[in-house]
Amino acid sequence: MKYKNGKRSIVTPTTISIAGTLLTLLLLAKLFISNFSIGKIIALPITLLSLIFSPSSFSSSSSSSSALFKAYVPNFRNVPGVEFYDLGNYQGNKDGWQRNDRILFCVPLRDAAEHLPMFFDHLNKMTYPHNLIDLSFLVSDSSDNTMGVLLSNLQNAQSQQDRSKRFGNIEIFEKDFGQIIGQSFSDRHGFKAQGPRRKLMARARNWLGSVAIKPYHSWVYWRDVDVETIPRTIMEDLMHHDKDVIVPNVWRPLPDWLGNIQPYDLNSWQESEGGLQLANSLDEDAVIVEGYPEYATWRPHLAYMRDPNGNPEDEMELNGIGGVSILSKAKVFRSGSHFPAFSFEKHAETEAFGKLSRRMNFNVIGLPHYVIWHIYEPSKEDLKHMAWMAEEEKRKLEETRLLELYDKIWEIGFDDVREDWTSERDAILKNIDLTGENGKKIEVDWSDDPEDNQAPNAQLAQNENMESTENPQGDIGRAKYPKEVPLEFDPDKN
Amino acid sequence: MKPLRQFSYRLRTSRKIHITIPILLLVGLYFTFFHGNRFSLDFNIVNGKWVNENEHTDYLPFTSKFKLPRFSYKNEHNWMFDDHVDEIIPEGHIAHYDLNKLHSTSDAAINKEKILILTPIQKFHQEYWENLLQLTYPRELIELGFIAPRTPTGDQALAALEAAVDKVQSDKKNQRFSKVTILRQDSVGFNKLTEKERHALEVQKERRASMALARNELLFSTIGPHTSWVLWLDADIIETPASLIQDMTAHDRAVLSANVFQRYYDEEKKQKAIRPYDFNNWQESDTGLELASKMKDDEIIVEGYAEIATYRPLMAYFHDPDNSVAEEMRLDGVGGGCTLVKAEVHRDGAMFPNFPFYHLIETEGFAKMAKRLNYEVFGLPNYLVYHIEEKNV
Repeated sequence: MKYKNGKRSIVTPTTISIAGTLLTLLLLAKLFISNFSIGKIIALPITLLSLIFSPSSFSSSSSSSSALFKAYVPNFRNVPGVEFYDLGNYQGNKDGWQRNDRILFCVPLRDAAEHLPMFFDHLNKMTYPHNLIDLSFLVSDSSDNTMGVLLSNLQNAQSQQDRSKRFGNIEIFEKDFGQIIGQSFSDRHGFKAQGPRRKLMARARNWLGSVAIKPYHSWVYWRDVDVETIPRTIMEDLMHHDKDVIVPNVWRPLPDWLGNIQPYDLNSWQESEGGLQLANSLDEDAVIVEGYPEYATWRPHLAYMRDPNGNPEDEMELNGIGGVSILSKAKVFRSGSHFPAFSFEKHAETEAFGKLSRRMNFNVIGLPHYVIWHIYEPSKEDLKHMAWMAEEEKRKLEETRLLELYDKIWEIGFDDVREDWTSERDAILKNIDLTGENGKKIEVDWSDDPEDNQAPNAQLAQNENMESTENPQGDIGRAKYPKEVPLEFDPDKN
Repeated sequence: MKPLRQFSYRLRTSRKIHITIPILLLVGLYFTFFHGNRFSLDFNIVNGKWVNENEHTDYLPFTSKFKLPRFSYKNEHNWMFDDHVDEIIPEGHIAHYDLNKLHSTSDAAINKEKILILTPIQKFHQEYWENLLQLTYPRELIELGFIAPRTPTGDQALAALEAAVDKVQSDKKNQRFSKVTILRQDSVGFNKLTEKERHALEVQKERRASMALARNELLFSTIGPHTSWVLWLDADIIETPASLIQDMTAHDRAVLSANVFQRYYDEEKKQKAIRPYDFNNWQESDTGLELASKMKDDEIIVEGYAEIATYRPLMAYFHDPDNSVAEEMRLDGVGGGCTLVKAEVHRDGAMFPNFPFYHLIETEGFAKMAKRLNYEVFGLPNYLVYHIEEKNV
């Protein structure tokens, strides 16, 4: 009662409701302007309301990054054979997996049948939403059953029970470029082979990239099949850096006799003075390849920058990159950057792709402490060494087998009676007084009369009986027991 | 009922509650809707340490947030303002293309080779469209590609193009083009300059760089596994022979450029006449090479300016109406007015450099790149196509 009659409160229902309305409007406006979306169900009535109350916020919150006005969007929904894409929607977000960014996953294949199961295993475990991944393969110059293995693996992947595990669009391209060189490790990594080989591989990559990329792709990921260990979150790990072109560090495991691990991809490097000088001294069509003593460039390599305890988020500017695992925004390829199949600034393929992309003002980044592991393929020297090692092992095995055989033959052919002799000697000696205390002369009756020896040998006979049960062969030996055994006879020195 | 009534009475009378409840509500709302992102920080173990240990921030390990995965997979796709096209992809669909069977031959129409006509469009000319429609090459073998800049003029061009395309593609089935792809550039793009500025030397580099970008974006988005030929046809080419594609493919050249002329009214002679228009088709000259060798890395040579006298033989001046239209000449630089390219040239990587490539840019740089890839570049000096006459607006 006291309050009722007292001074008027400011907090009347009217003011509260006005304040509430204002605040709600403010909140809704903010909700609208920020790109924050809270699910369709909650947002739908709110947005409708705010459309009524504040239509101005509609135009100002256009999703286009640059312009304030909403760009004109033609409507071709009912027109056959016509597609419209606003490339502004496909520039690549750093949280692409949350914003439905489609990735084009490009894999060049050549005689890769044996690696494909491992590759698909990695693919299936990837955490990036599978429906946003479009796979495209280029099968070229293969003599093994790459195509068959690929198709069966793809069919398995696409008929999985869990629909969220299936991938988006899948395209396989076939194109033979003619093989200059073999695919074995030493063929591929020999110095002379590098220039023409890199140019040929660049052509293959360009054919794949140019036919596979669609206007609606936001990212392009290039991957070799022969990667052994790779994080499941590889896409997200690379993507969240929000760089135009980004590569992880690539190492490979080695057998123990070669020292366990080794940097693999030496194509990722920073340009150096030495490199530029070397480039200037070469003719127009020459191709510098890293990792060969013929071309000493003294460039800092991404691979050697690795610190096992380093922060995996650390970045490093690069000029040339390797092709094992490249994530790039699709706009890089759309703008014309590609894998030069000619000598571009004295480089070709992926290394030149790095150089070209930088020339076109894209950033090219490597992650020195974030490592993926390539499989180990032995080189020709390694193979020789391994063959030698295998031979050696076989030889040792044979040797031990022979030794065992000899031992057996020895055992069968020659009866070892040394133990028996020892025990017998003990048995004999224990009944003999060696001190000669009694002044008695030791007399041995060497006559053949068995009855004379019976008494002192009673104990011995008992022992013999016991042993004979254990060693039946011993009986034979004992039958022709040599009678003239000198007392000081040591069987061990026989 | 009594306790409820008592409670509501309290609500109505207590001032503290009057003030605190709305504030609490607002704070609650704020946290649920706007502050959410900050709480879903990334937690993860890096090198055997929780991320917060590395970052020297302390979150209590027993909160539910602590064990969130490294990345959040909540969909933040902006559903209201986004015209993202979600591709409808058939289930279990595996497409298989054998590119070994793809050819570009001199009998293109007979061999049913697909051609992709690409046009960066900044202004829609009805004459261009009509000329395109009168081409006799079978339409089921023609794909069209357009790219428009993100400007109001681009909007206009798109709207006009939309109407035109709509009309043709909704028409009888055999009159339709096999596919039409229309792209909108992300950047302001290639027409931010007015007509007058367009030919000033200083702005050439910038203009042609953005043009090159547009061409590349268009090319690499539209070239597909069926494409055998690519025809670059500018939006202001308004008159070509009807058998343009058949005529040009018959030469079976990797890169082949037609001669671009312009019809105008000669005030002196009081009659209609033609004059050369495109000077980007040229043969290299010693002077040109010498000029290039003295230039800085980021400088370019462009034709048709008195400041840079290259003395290059220009295809435009080799036109002789008495000679055969099939006459060819070797070129080192091409323009983009009407140029036919085998798709394999582009697939091998020949694109339009938007940076000085051997001091050349855009279509001229493209010709250089094609040559670096061991393709030959040719022109047809007597085969004329006509550029629209620029009215002084």
